[in-house]
Amino acid sequence: MTETETIKLSDYATAKGFCLTSAFWMMAATFMGLLGATELIAPAVTENIGGLVFGRVRPTHVNLVLFGFATPGLLAATFYFFPRVLQTRLYSEKLGVFTVIAWNIMLVCTVATLLSGNTQAREYAEMIWPVDILVVLAFALIVFNFFMTVQRRTEPLIYVSIWYACAAAVLTMLTYALGNVIWRPDGGALTGIPDAILLWFYGHNIFGLLLTPLSIGVAYYVVPKAIRAPLYSHTLSLLGFWALIVVYTHIGTHHLLQVPVPTWLKVVAIVDSIAMVIPVMAFLINIWYTARGKLGAIHADIGAKFVFTGTIMYFFVSIQGSMMALPQVQRVTHFNNWVVGHAHIGVLGFSGMIALGGLYYVLPRMTGKPLFSRFLADFQYWLILIGVVGFTVILTIAGLIQGNAWLNGETVYRVLPEIHLYYVIRAALGVLIFVSAVLGFYNIARTMFMPERGAG
Amino acid sequence: MKMTPAVIFAGSVLILAAVVAIVVVLPFYHTSQTEPSAIFRPRTAAESRGRQIYIENGCVYCHSQSVRTIDWGLGAERIARAGDYVEDRPILLGSQRTGPDLSQQGGEHPDDWHKAHFVNPRYTSPLSIMPAFEFLGEEKLDHLTAYVQSLGMKDADRRVARQEKWKQKAVEAYENGPDQNVQWLHSRVPEQWQKLPNPYGTSDAGLARGHKIYQDFCMGCHGPIGDGMGPAQPYLYPPPLNFTVLQDRGITGGILYYQIMNGITGTAMPYFKKHLESEKIWDVGNYVAVYFINQSDAGDNAGGIDAAYEP
Ligand code: HEC
Ligand code: HEC
Ligand code: HEM
Repeated sequence: MTETETIKLSDYATAKGFCLTSAFWMMAATFMGLLGATELIAPAVTENIGGLVFGRVRPTHVNLVLFGFATPGLLAATFYFFPRVLQTRLYSEKLGVFTVIAWNIMLVCTVATLLSGNTQAREYAEMIWPVDILVVLAFALIVFNFFMTVQRRTEPLIYVSIWYACAAAVLTMLTYALGNVIWRPDGGALTGIPDAILLWFYGHNIFGLLLTPLSIGVAYYVVPKAIRAPLYSHTLSLLGFWALIVVYTHIGTHHLLQVPVPTWLKVVAIVDSIAMVIPVMAFLINIWYTARGKLGAIHADIGAKFVFTGTIMYFFVSIQGSMMALPQVQRVTHFNNWVVGHAHIGVLGFSGMIALGGLYYVLPRMTGKPLFSRFLADFQYWLILIGVVGFTVILTIAGLIQGNAWLNGETVYRVLPEIHLYYVIRAALGVLIFVSAVLGFYNIARTMFMPERGAG
Repeated sequence: MKMTPAVIFAGSVLILAAVVAIVVVLPFYHTSQTEPSAIFRPRTAAESRGRQIYIENGCVYCHSQSVRTIDWGLGAERIARAGDYVEDRPILLGSQRTGPDLSQQGGEHPDDWHKAHFVNPRYTSPLSIMPAFEFLGEEKLDHLTAYVQSLGMKDADRRVARQEKWKQKAVEAYENGPDQNVQWLHSRVPEQWQKLPNPYGTSDAGLARGHKIYQDFCMGCHGPIGDGMGPAQPYLYPPPLNFTVLQDRGITGGILYYQIMNGITGTAMPYFKKHLESEKIWDVGNYVAVYFINQSDAGDNAGGIDAAYEP
């Protein structure tokens, strides 16, 4: 991929905007998580501060992680590589910057509405109608910008990262509108069991059609670039891409295996959850074979290091997920902290790691300046790695204790003291992750606003 | 396969449309015809307002509203049916059980218990990690209570009516003074139980176990010294029993056991048979007898053969 003059002239305003957005909101999101974790140990810390009750803090945390940290982080790298891979300039940086601004307004509204109790109480679809409209609008702008840039490309072949980015944007725009029942502004929900089915169709697609394809797109860009090697297999790219869209969209009902929804739908969800091995392994084999024998180059680049670690997390979360879709496993794991552990390997270990990797990979390249501190970035890497692995171990243990105790007839109340210790350790690990977010923001902001050293 | 913009954009949207047809539209037609279940009834205005407060405060992130087939170990009496949810918009199934399932909560406790519990869950349940909701204010707490008492619908109505019926009698007895009150309380215990002494003798280990259980389950109401002046006391009527009134009023280990196991419907005194196994109930009963009532019949009537576990 040679660089033409027009690309060099690009100022990457959109990518930079999303970069700062992600770094900033990561602090807010992890702070909310830490606050929630603290409340589960010592509910008195925020006693009777209405806006900070656990039931409002938790959805604020989750939505900020998804829409404040992970998605913008992945979009930052995507807006950087999009024009480069297509050998053109972004269709409109102005539109892109406008999107970033709309996105941030949306996030501020999200925090304000959720903490004040204006919520639809549907997981990942909590935001009320006006905020939903902002989200859909932002995705529509992104789709438009992507599509027009693709049309203006000078490189005839469209690289796999672009497929994933385009599919993520357009499919999320549609499923978000559908899942939030956007045609019914009053409450944004269906009624009864159909609401549960629609909610989890949508909820799972937040991972399956937004975070996962964006993350895979970034990985497909960063890993071959960092090691200067071509992608291992075009066939695997194709297989992985189409299988992801076909299979991932079917499996939402595995969140509802223990409630009265139609059995045939549960069967579809379980079978396809196992079939998820196909898109997952198609991608992983492709990316790991590409990197085979070149791990030194991965290790040398902090961005690639984050991204590569993210792919390993993807392996674990997906294998675990396929197992969790088996009814016999879910007897123990459903309703308890096991699932929270899974969620953190997925969203922080996989998508979050790749988002940060993407940021660190593109940051020096789009600013033309070296990273402010490689040490800080490395330190952040280790804080997050220890944090997320620790989370997984601790929450899995807590989940097993809860799940087995309940099956054994112990009441929820009786099990509370048994898991207290794990809640304490979890909050301690949360401190690591929050600190890492603050260090990351400092590092990224310093890099971006640092005066050029010498010739730059 | 050549990936052109048309293939990428149109192809993925077409696939999505096909999948939506299969896993959203089809099930929608399948499940939106669901008939209301036998226990279903519509919510009142106050209950609907309470449900909105439940939504606003994220109770759904800690409480499920769906009893599963595998919950029998927790004493589940009724498994959730699709017809239970026909008016729930949005549906509030929940995905975590940080606290217990609430789908059959109505009538498990009287209103005053909920009041004390919402003001501060540690008042009634010392180990609780549920947030305090005093900030909602009186009116909203009333609505929230109405909603929680409606969970279980017609089954809940029956249980709530039972609470109300016995509440009247409990208040009457309490207002007639300690003699009458204790008499009334004990009249609810079957005769065989009334005469039954605690079969296990008092031991240091047993008292230590009883002490721990008392702290974890009873202290918020009956108070650290058993005088009924725990932090929940101001919200409960009749107030938690001051155990000293039981002295010389015919108390036995059997009465204590029976009351702790089954609770006293109509009063805030909950039943503990789901939380505590048999030995723990004897232990906490004897702890109350020894330390607060100052009269224990533990081991008085130890007949038969020596049990294998005796030291
Ligand atoms: C942090 C999680 C959490 C949140 C949020 C929460 N609860 Fe709880 N809840 C618990 C726990 C833990 C228990 C068990 C201990 C206890 O009785 O307090 C419980 C118990 C209860 C009980 C008593 C159940 C029984 O059978 O004894 C009711 C009723 C209840 N909660 C209602 C609510 C309502 C209504 C809300 C929202 C306004 C709410 N809870 C929010 C954790 C939570
Ligand atoms: C939510 C408050 C509450 C909690 C918690 C509670 N109690 Fe009670 N208890 C009461 C009330 C109220 C009464 C009945 C008072 C009345 O009707 O005069 C009562 C009555 C009793 C009685 C009846 C005595 C008799 O002679 O009939 C016993 C025994 C008792 N409680 C023991 C316990 C023990 C042991 C625990 C803990 C395992 C406990 N209580 C927890 C509120 C509570
Ligand atoms: C093959 C891939 C995967 C499968 C089969 C799978 C399966 C599952 C299942 C069965 C549950 C429900 C658990 C329960 O409630 O009992 C679940 C929950 C969850 N998964 Fe996955 N998973 C996969 C990958 C991922 C990835 C990649 C992510 C993140 C990017 C992710 C994020 C989550 C989250 C956040 C939840 C929690 C949902 C909630 O709030 O209850 N999963 N997954």
